[in-house]
Amino acid sequence: MRYVTALTLGSRMISPVSDNQPLLRVENLCIAIQNAGQLQPVVRDLSFEVQASQTLGIVGESGSGKSLTVLAIMGLLSGSPVRVTSGKVWFDGKDLLQLSDAERRSIMGDGMSMIFQEPMTSLNPVYKIGDQIMEGIRHHQHCSAKEARTRALQLLEKVKIPDASTRIDHYPHQLSGGQRQRVMIAMALACDPLLLIADEPTTALDVTVQKEVLDLIAEIQQDTGTAIILISHDLGVIAQTCNFVAVMYCGEIVESSTTEKLFQRLGHPYTRGLIESIPPLHSDVEWLNAIPGQVPALNALPVGCSYQPRCSHAQAQCRQNPPVALLDDEHIVRCHFAQQLQGRAS
Amino acid sequence: MKLLTFVKEALEGRKLATAGAIWLLIIVVAGIAAPLIAPFDPLEIDPIARLSEPGTPYLFGTDHFGRDTFSRAVYGARMALIIGIGSVMVALLCGGLVGMLSGYFTGLGHVLMRMVDVLMAFPALLLALVLMTVLERSVFNTILVIGIVYATTTARILFGMMLKLKNEVFIDAARCSGAGHLSLLFRHILPNLLSPILVQATFIFAFAQLQAAALDFLGLGLPPEVPSWGNMLAEERIYITRAPWLLIFPGVLIILSVFSMNLLGDALRDRIDPRFKDDIAGV
Amino acid sequence: MSNTPLLDVKALNVVFRTKSSGKLLATNRNHAVKNVSFSVHAGEVLSLVGESGCGKTTIGRILTGLESAESGTANFQGDNILGLSNAGFRPLRKHIQMIFQDPYASLNPRLTIEKILSEPLFIHKLVRNRVEARTRMAAMLKQVGLDPDALKRYPHEFSGGQRQRIGIARVMLVSPRIIIADEAVSALDVSIQAQVLNLLKKLQRSSGVAMLFISHDLAVVRHISDRIAVMYQGEIVELNDKQQIFENPQHEYTRLLLSSIPQVKARSTP
Repeated sequence: MRYVTALTLGSRMISPVSDNQPLLRVENLCIAIQNAGQLQPVVRDLSFEVQASQTLGIVGESGSGKSLTVLAIMGLLSGSPVRVTSGKVWFDGKDLLQLSDAERRSIMGDGMSMIFQEPMTSLNPVYKIGDQIMEGIRHHQHCSAKEARTRALQLLEKVKIPDASTRIDHYPHQLSGGQRQRVMIAMALACDPLLLIADEPTTALDVTVQKEVLDLIAEIQQDTGTAIILISHDLGVIAQTCNFVAVMYCGEIVESSTTEKLFQRLGHPYTRGLIESIPPLHSDVEWLNAIPGQVPALNALPVGCSYQPRCSHAQAQCRQNPPVALLDDEHIVRCHFAQQLQGRAS
Repeated sequence: MKLLTFVKEALEGRKLATAGAIWLLIIVVAGIAAPLIAPFDPLEIDPIARLSEPGTPYLFGTDHFGRDTFSRAVYGARMALIIGIGSVMVALLCGGLVGMLSGYFTGLGHVLMRMVDVLMAFPALLLALVLMTVLERSVFNTILVIGIVYATTTARILFGMMLKLKNEVFIDAARCSGAGHLSLLFRHILPNLLSPILVQATFIFAFAQLQAAALDFLGLGLPPEVPSWGNMLAEERIYITRAPWLLIFPGVLIILSVFSMNLLGDALRDRIDPRFKDDIAGV
Repeated sequence: MSNTPLLDVKALNVVFRTKSSGKLLATNRNHAVKNVSFSVHAGEVLSLVGESGCGKTTIGRILTGLESAESGTANFQGDNILGLSNAGFRPLRKHIQMIFQDPYASLNPRLTIEKILSEPLFIHKLVRNRVEARTRMAAMLKQVGLDPDALKRYPHEFSGGQRQRIGIARVMLVSPRIIIADEAVSALDVSIQAQVLNLLKKLQRSSGVAMLFISHDLAVVRHISDRIAVMYQGEIVELNDKQQIFENPQHEYTRLLLSSIPQVKARSTP
């Protein structure tokens, strides 16, 4: 089986040659934040692709720029001090960053939709959930209220809300956290989007509910062939749901690969550090191999490799920008020592 | 010092509020240095120069007793300061204490806040009128009455903030460290209330001016001989057509001062947190 | 481990009453903790693990006197600590300390670190004067991996991980007998969480303090605990040594929890 989702790093395009156009292609995206009169870069030179039926996981800690990246793709940055400074976001043959607001809105919902972390705050508390789902349907499909309601009911059944015909007339506060997230998914699916972006969709949920929601998302993808970008800080969630992973640190993708290959041969010291920071569930370790120090502030990014001050393998060379190393045709690492560190325990 | 930087930050980029602050500074200086600034004794009568027009030597003209309006206005500024500061102190002390204790000890709070609710059922001016008719006209009583009227709103606001602050995790943490009620109230909670209290104080100061002027005008505020802006309006109101300057000067002073104080208050409030807007605007 | 436990909780029940929205004067009863019993021995780490709303946080708040129980006993060094007044609980605060989840909310934003840390020292009369307090605080800050310079600064100047270290310093300064850690590392990023977990474990080992570790994260719990109590809807459904819980879970809910955790199957390099 060949992975058609390809990820690229830096300006070099490294992708398995695919005949079909990718659904979403982000090229050299740079995002900066306006702070005290100057622009500070928060996302630097980011490139990746997503193809239909694929799930791309973007993993990183807070401040890695993962959420800003998807907000930029969704066009939700306007009005904030954050803005895209350069780069292109190709979706379905159009550069999203060049579109007018009206053109962009017609793509939202139809073409792509988003699920947020906190289902309570993203649902309007004063409207019934059925009405909120129907609004999206009617807006994009111009159908009658009755048709929209039937469709909303189908969607609620699809996301496995028990007793959907009653629940459709409930208000958000009458549902549990897991059910609210299901409603959010139903709303996101209302217009059969080609791309679904989920930003920490299960972070606020309990593990047992998280499993149900992740299973649901996977099932829906099987049925509809929607492409998914899943943002998470939880490597476990990413490992279990995605077929492609991009690891972000300080606004850059430091490593990306197919999930299988990434976890087989950890290329970047940061990825390795992240994994070793998680206490193992099925064995006991005396001390965790924690990454020392903390994520540098945006206005104090280190020279060269941004991970270099915390890296146990760092050498003088790391004070220069690291090259993009190719471990194999789908496994990319932004590190000077990518090849040497292969197979060596840290 | 922190207070100064706080005010400075609040005024940054707000021209109107800065102008207001400067105007208030002038009033404060005039009030403090009134004997040095005023060319005449505000009570001195010059029968020959009754109702003279603005010019020299009477800059703002004279009233129907022949007293210098400018000197009276300057001493009026002093009275405005005394009334303002006094009322703010009474309101914050009574209202602040009631509000804080009510929010902290909820049992006591139920009783105290119901009493506050009863007082708040009266319109502010009506309540002040009722209290003043019982009491003698004096500077102290005016301050007391206005202070009590605004103590109710202060109590309400602090009560609400207290309920929120009391449940903050850092308060739980302080309790776990062994802090007692006094320490929790004054060491841990009060510093978090200082900025909203400061904002509240500016609004009370402004509204106290209006209240005092209204009471004076109705003949229930300060004793008539005291030179205050409100008294000046009250005494000279029948000369509005013959000598309009007698009313224009004190009127403009009241309006400018209240307006400036409100502008300053708005700026301070926005500095704390834009979300507080609705909490405090209920004054 | 001595035979009499340091903390012995028996038949603890907690009921929350909220006003019913429908009828006047009617109250809703929410039985948050049902008949819970467990004990913590000196020097031991017992974890309460469960999902949101299972009552684990409530138990922690009861044992630190922040909330009151319906019935039951909690004997600390032989004396029942439930139902004590605020003043009655004060002498115990030196021995029972709490670490909170949210490092941003648990430090008073208006106080310097020095004021925050010195308060318990003076309250419990552990130091005689400021100089002595400062020496103690500086030493403790070093132990938790912070620069003693921190004393002069305010909480907002620190990152989440650093604030949690300050929270740990505040707790360790009074040399408690037992620490109740409520989701102490849950709000932290993975890499910082590992640092703080290591720190907690190190301090726990070196001081021999007992700990009631409350968490929803089974992996974290496994790393730090000796024994684990699994809670579900207000009850402890399983309490056992950690090996037993993970390798031989008895209760269906424990098995469900274990199977729900998404895992990284990284093949570590040879």
